[in-house]
Amino acid sequence: MNLNTQFVFEGKLKRNLVIGMVIGAICLAWSLVGDDEYRTRFWTNWLHNSVFFTGIAFMAMFFLSAQITAFAGWNSVVKRVWEAMSQFMWVGLILMGVIVAGVWGHFHHLYHWNDPNVNITNPDGPHFDEILAGKKGFLNPMFFTLGTIGFLAIWYFWAYKLRQVSVAQDTQETPSFDYHKKQRKWAASFLPLGGFLSTVFLWQSVMSVDPHWYSTMFAWYSMVSVWLGAISMTVMLIIFLKSKGYLEYVTRDHLHDIGKFLFGISVFWTYLWFDQFMLIWYANNGEETIYFKERMDHYPVLFWGNLLLNFVTPFLILMRNDTKRKFGTMFFVAAIVFFGHWWDFFGMIKPGARIAAHEATMLVEENKNGGTHSDTTTGIDHDASTGHEEPATETAHVAEAHADTAAHASEIMHTENATEAEHSEPGHTEAAEASTVHTDHADAGHADATHGEAAHGEHGDGGHHGDKSFKMGFTVPGIQELGVMIGFLSLFLFFFFNQLSKVSLVPLRDPYLEESLHHDTGTNIDGERQLDGDESGHDHGHH
Amino acid sequence: MAAENTKVLYGLYNDEEDLKSAVKTAGKDHMDIMDVFTPFPVHGLDPVLGLKESRLHYLGFVYGAIGALFGFGAMTWIFTSDWPTIFGGKPYWSVPAFIPITFEMTVLFSAWGMTLTFYTICGMWPGVKNKTLDNRITDDKFCIAFDVTNAAENDVDNIKGFFNRTGAAEINLKTL
Repeated sequence: MNLNTQFVFEGKLKRNLVIGMVIGAICLAWSLVGDDEYRTRFWTNWLHNSVFFTGIAFMAMFFLSAQITAFAGWNSVVKRVWEAMSQFMWVGLILMGVIVAGVWGHFHHLYHWNDPNVNITNPDGPHFDEILAGKKGFLNPMFFTLGTIGFLAIWYFWAYKLRQVSVAQDTQETPSFDYHKKQRKWAASFLPLGGFLSTVFLWQSVMSVDPHWYSTMFAWYSMVSVWLGAISMTVMLIIFLKSKGYLEYVTRDHLHDIGKFLFGISVFWTYLWFDQFMLIWYANNGEETIYFKERMDHYPVLFWGNLLLNFVTPFLILMRNDTKRKFGTMFFVAAIVFFGHWWDFFGMIKPGARIAAHEATMLVEENKNGGTHSDTTTGIDHDASTGHEEPATETAHVAEAHADTAAHASEIMHTENATEAEHSEPGHTEAAEASTVHTDHADAGHADATHGEAAHGEHGDGGHHGDKSFKMGFTVPGIQELGVMIGFLSLFLFFFFNQLSKVSLVPLRDPYLEESLHHDTGTNIDGERQLDGDESGHDHGHH
Repeated sequence: MAAENTKVLYGLYNDEEDLKSAVKTAGKDHMDIMDVFTPFPVHGLDPVLGLKESRLHYLGFVYGAIGALFGFGAMTWIFTSDWPTIFGGKPYWSVPAFIPITFEMTVLFSAWGMTLTFYTICGMWPGVKNKTLDNRITDDKFCIAFDVTNAAENDVDNIKGFFNRTGAAEINLKTL
């Protein structure tokens, strides 16, 4: 077994990845065809994939740092894979830099808080958005720049240093802990940096697509989502490299342990998914609930498909011991989970960006009309925020806002078919009644079920968030979206293989290398007596 | 459960790697090991002993499924027909609110069920006293035991020779 091997980035693989990138570029350009005036489809595709693949690189670094800090030894033989993955943050810096440039130059409209037509300064002026006014200290171009590319630059520096120390270790004469200790300093200091800053990164780049909404669980949830992206990609890359004859010392036992992570973190992701959902469902605050209401009513394939891909599949398939030890099964599950978390991010970004674009159009229209309309786009959120402070007056507000919204809705819904417009009428009456009934016991606040329904109806039918009809590339990913994913994936892999080919595939002088080479999960699936010390290296003696 | 007056010849090793290679040697020599005792689970010991995968976790799944159904069913019955109550303006049958408890019941049933099944299989109940070969196998020694009740003299010598060859720190004979 020759440990001193180096990956050779062959011309054929290079060519295939370049083809993938060309497909991506074509599909990205294609998504401009029939796009709206803000090129929402194009820009959401860019943001979605940039965040997802940059997040994978970040999480590879975070995962590796956590393992180094925890004195893990089993992972030595796969360390270089994560090191190479983490270097993609450099490319992520450019990808996210384009988004940042767009925030300054206003050439995309992903973030409603960045719309110059939104009034966040003058409370007496038209369309005053109280919520965004309250968040302007955080949601502004300056902070956005710091929170995305600023933090990415810091992380990349750490990833670069960690890899540098690891590569320098190869030049040692004999294995010792000298370089390992240095690595631990970089790894341990990265954990708080990555852990705390990544929350801000995700609030800025993904959560602020729905700027009125917030969730305290969001950063956890989406970070774990990219973590699974990173783990599933690791599984696929290891199996790919093995099929090419590399990494022969990575055994079923290593795969088994990564499979446990894939299984366990998938369950953790589900826990966070449910946590976020249940906290919001239970509290039933309009400005929070609308996020889920919107997705459950108008994006059911995205919403429920997410759970099917990311919970049901890995949970049922990986529950058994032996499935985690089979290369074919693991590749299959990893591919599904990888796609699943890409899908998850799609669902976080697309519906919100569609609303942002719609709101922008409404504001422009209303400005044209001299701002005579009530502030339909922001009225409800506005109302919800004041409601917290004055529950007694809230219902009156809601009813008022509702009347406005419904009136407006009938205007904007003229493009839709007549039956739907008719439907909105009885819905309106019902909701208004519920609100009236509610005034009798206003002290019950939001807690009352009827009130909750009324608020929902208002959000759902009021035209607050515009056109809800099926739209390819938003309701479900279209061919363009899949193509763009292939493009970004090819870019990621091209960079990854290039980085991987530069250094030895094994950290040759890693003090934990011996442990890793003899890693043994102690699992005996076949129930056969193994006496010859086969691939798992059972027959090793003392160290 | 050892029968009355079982004569056991056992060797004690200082290291789990010595133990593993000794078990492997015994397997190659077709020696009939009665049991192996270690103070902690030794990874990779099962395959060399030729032990089959435990079926306990199948039962774990069954217990878990029973717990989930029981928890969910009980809450459904209680909150919809036995004592319908509105909590926080939610419907009587509010599934999201039931999920944490369903999860807890799954874990509880699975854990207790597997523990009790394991105790039953191993004959471990309060009041049951099991004989220990050597107290040090619960501390820092690794033991291979052979049943020599009906063994011929040269078989016993054979086993002793095996222990010496494979680096056992101690060889003892004990009647249980």
